[in-house]
Amino acid sequence: MKRTIKPLISAVLSVMICARIVPAVEDADSTSVRDFEKRVSAYVQLRKSIESNLPALKSTRSQEKISSQEHALARAVREARKNARPGDIFTPEISARIRDLIGGAMQSAGKRIKASLHQAEPVHLRLRVNDSYPANVPLQSTPPSLLTNLPPLPRQEVEYRVAGHDLILLDVKANLVADLIENLLP
Amino acid sequence: MTRRITLCLAFLTATLLSSLWGQALSLPLKPGSVRFAVIGDNGTGGKEQYEVGMQMERYREKAGFDFVIMLGDNIYGGDSAGGMTKKFEEPYKPLLDAGVKFYASLGNHDNPNQRFYKPFNMGEKLYYSFRRGKVEFFALDSNYMDPRQLDWLKKELQNSDSAWKLCFFHHPLYSDGKFHGPDLDLRARLEPLIMANGVNVVFSGHDHIYERVAPKNGINYFVLGNSGELRLHGLKQSPDVAKGFDTDRGFMLVEIDGDRFYFQAVSRTGETVDSGVIGPHPF
Repeated sequence: MKRTIKPLISAVLSVMICARIVPAVEDADSTSVRDFEKRVSAYVQLRKSIESNLPALKSTRSQEKISSQEHALARAVREARKNARPGDIFTPEISARIRDLIGGAMQSAGKRIKASLHQAEPVHLRLRVNDSYPANVPLQSTPPSLLTNLPPLPRQEVEYRVAGHDLILLDVKANLVADLIENLLP
Repeated sequence: MTRRITLCLAFLTATLLSSLWGQALSLPLKPGSVRFAVIGDNGTGGKEQYEVGMQMERYREKAGFDFVIMLGDNIYGGDSAGGMTKKFEEPYKPLLDAGVKFYASLGNHDNPNQRFYKPFNMGEKLYYSFRRGKVEFFALDSNYMDPRQLDWLKKELQNSDSAWKLCFFHHPLYSDGKFHGPDLDLRARLEPLIMANGVNVVFSGHDHIYERVAPKNGINYFVLGNSGELRLHGLKQSPDVAKGFDTDRGFMLVEIDGDRFYFQAVSRTGETVDSGVIGPHPF
C-alpha cells in the first residue's frame, strides 16, 4: 500500500508545484508586457501633446515644411526627455521578455530571419536614446517573424527597428530613438 | 571626301532609325484600358535617372499612361527640399507637368515621413490601396510588415471585387539579383496571404536590375530596381529568370484590358528589353 501511495503523492505534488510555477511565470510576463505597453503609451501621449503645440504635419508639396516639422518635433521631444536613459521604456523585465521572444522566433525560423536581416542591407551604427536616425543611412527592415512575436505597438507611431545588433524603438514621425536594447540581434 | 560624307550620313540615318525602331510601342492601346508606368530604386539624382525620365515622357506621348507606381528608394541620401527637387521633381517634370500622378511605396532608403509629401499620393499612410477601373493596387510597406499590416491587407483583398489585384512594395519575394535576392522571411508571411486572396501580379525593387520571374504559384513577379541605380551584370543565371536585363537603367509600361495584362520593359535608351502578355486571366 505504502509503495503505491508514495509515487502517487509525489506525482500530485509535482502537478501542484508546476501548476503554481507556470501561472507565476505567465503572470510575470504579462505584467512586464502590460508595464511596457503603459510606458509606450505614455511616450506616445507625451509626443502627441508636444505635437499639438507645433504646426500640424499634414500632406504638403513642400518637402522643406515636412523636414522642418520633423526636426522641430524631434528637438521638442528631446528637450522634454532630456534625462531619458536606456531602459526607461525597455525596462530590464521587458528586455528579458523580448530576448526570450526573439530567441523563440530564432529557434523556429532562425535561418530565414538571418537571411532576411542580411537581405535588408544591414546597417552598422550605434545609436543612443534621443538620437535622430541618420538621414543618409538606410533604415533596415525588421523581419516579419520577429514582429509577429513582439508585443504590438501603436499604429504608425513607434516601430521596432534593427540598427546593427541593437533593437531600437523608433518614433516614426519625429525620426527619433525613444529607447533601445543593445546586442539583442545576431 | 564625298565618300566620308556619305558614310557619315548613312551612320546618322542608321542611328536615327534604330532610335525610332527602339521606341516602338508593343502595347495594344485598347480604348478604356488601364495604363501605367513602373519605376523602382530611382531617386539618385544622377543623369541616368533624368534620361529614364525623358524616355518615360517619350513613351507617355505614345502610350498615354496617366500614373506611375514607385517601388521604393524614391529618394537616396535623405530627402531635403533640394534633394526632392533634384531627385524627383526635375527628373519627372515633363510627366508631372502633363498631370501624371505618382503613387509611392517606401524602400529602405526612404524616410517614412515621405508619406506626407503630396506628390507621392500616399494619403499620409505607410501602406494604402487605390483603384483604377477594374484594377486595384495595394502599396505595401515591406520595411515593416507587422501583423497589423498583414491583417489590413487580408481584409482589403477579401473586400475587393476588382478583377485584377496588384501589389507593389520594395523588398522582393522572388529575385535572382546577386546582391540582395529574395526576402525569405517576408515571403513566408506574405505569399500565403496573397496566394489565398487572388493577387495576380507583384512588383518589387531593391535589386538594381530588371527581372521577370517565372510565375510562382499562379502569381507573376517583376523586379524593377534599375530606374536610377544599376547593379551591372547583377543578375544570376537561373531557371527562374523568365527574362532579365542588367546592363542599363529602365522602366516598365503596363496596360490592362479586360482579362489581359500587357507589359513592356524599356531601357534608358528607349530599347524594348522585354514585352508580353499575361492572361487571359480566369476571373
